[in-house]
Amino acid sequence: MTSPGTAIDSLNAALKCNIIPNQEYLLQGSVLDQYVEVLLHRLRGLCDNVDSGPESFHDHELYFVLRATNTGGPMVLPLRVRRALDVPDAPWQLRYVGQQELGDKNRPTVVRSSIDMACSSTIVEFLTELGCRVEFEYIARGYMFRKGRMKITVSKIFKMGNIANKSGEGVEPISQSYLVELSVLAPSGQDAIAEDMRIFAEQLRPLVQLEKIDYKRLGNLP
Amino acid sequence: MGVTVLQQFPIETRTGPSTIELLSKRISALGAVQQGQFLVDCETYTSTPALGHQRTVHVLHNSEQPATVFSILETGQKTIPLATDGLFDLLMMKMSGFYTSKKQTKAESKGPRYEIGDFCVKLGTVTVSQNFKGILVEVEYRPSVVPALCWELMREFLQGFLGSSVPATPPAYLQNRMQELYTPMDTIHQYLEQFTIFRKSPGLRP
Repeated sequence: MTSPGTAIDSLNAALKCNIIPNQEYLLQGSVLDQYVEVLLHRLRGLCDNVDSGPESFHDHELYFVLRATNTGGPMVLPLRVRRALDVPDAPWQLRYVGQQELGDKNRPTVVRSSIDMACSSTIVEFLTELGCRVEFEYIARGYMFRKGRMKITVSKIFKMGNIANKSGEGVEPISQSYLVELSVLAPSGQDAIAEDMRIFAEQLRPLVQLEKIDYKRLGNLP
Repeated sequence: MGVTVLQQFPIETRTGPSTIELLSKRISALGAVQQGQFLVDCETYTSTPALGHQRTVHVLHNSEQPATVFSILETGQKTIPLATDGLFDLLMMKMSGFYTSKKQTKAESKGPRYEIGDFCVKLGTVTVSQNFKGILVEVEYRPSVVPALCWELMREFLQGFLGSSVPATPPAYLQNRMQELYTPMDTIHQYLEQFTIFRKSPGLRP
């Protein structure tokens, strides 16, 4: 009987075969509140989950940053933690999102590295004691659609109101619009998916304009 | 998933492989059937001075829960457990500027895995950075998740094949949690305690 290999060996093997979905292809846009119903209607027609209808979500996201200054200069590691407010027993989500690459004009989507995993609810205390600090937090409520490997979310972003108010009720929206995101998590090098996304995004015009957003132009985000 | 008791088995004048063989014979004589092999490993990372006061993260894997990575963070005041998917190892690589591993502390327990009725028995050869350190015997009683309800039964079973090396009282880690629901993380805590003892102990001949 062969002994099981170490977890690190299997991870390295998976990395070598390039089967770990660690790249996120992303397009973003927004739609005003008064037109969101039209967009949802359009998505219902275009997406896979026709019978069951769109999946709703109500999440709380915390954005942590681990910072230190070494001889090589400052180091920053951003980590996001998400939990479902509507499904309290569901695992929490921990996510590392790397620097985004806009690429040249011919590349249809933003590409950024992403490590996404489920975790236990001790994650907030774990990260805090690890040395991470919360930079900001928000509540996102909306709908999720699927089209093949693509994920489309239409979400309303809310400011965190009273912290004591854990249920997420009575919070204030940050704008009069919904955030629309089209994304795929895939192993690196699968650039064909970006083309599918561009074609899908075309079908949502002019209701919503999904684009490569350059965060550097929006102000000082980490 | 049940309650697990982990204990060292003294090798006395024997070698590691002959001790495993001896225990294998005893457990097989009771009717146990070997069901593959098992592996529990532990890598320890410490924070770099740039992060302030020193913290330690132990990252463990258990072949019994192959899709999970278990981490235990020790700050000096607090111990915080975390269970995540396998990709946590990838995240630890990203943290290499903040937390670094001491390679010479990599601990492992591996060996044959037996099933006998409601029990699962694992005979582990412990190495710390490839050096043989001793034998760990893990016994799991699977129908129950409350230690207080099955400790006596488990002790009797353990004594049946380990003899007098079995203490009369539960392991220290379990003593404080006899009435609580047992989880896979509790097994990880017991392994970490044992690995910490082995890391401090001098090497043995294999």
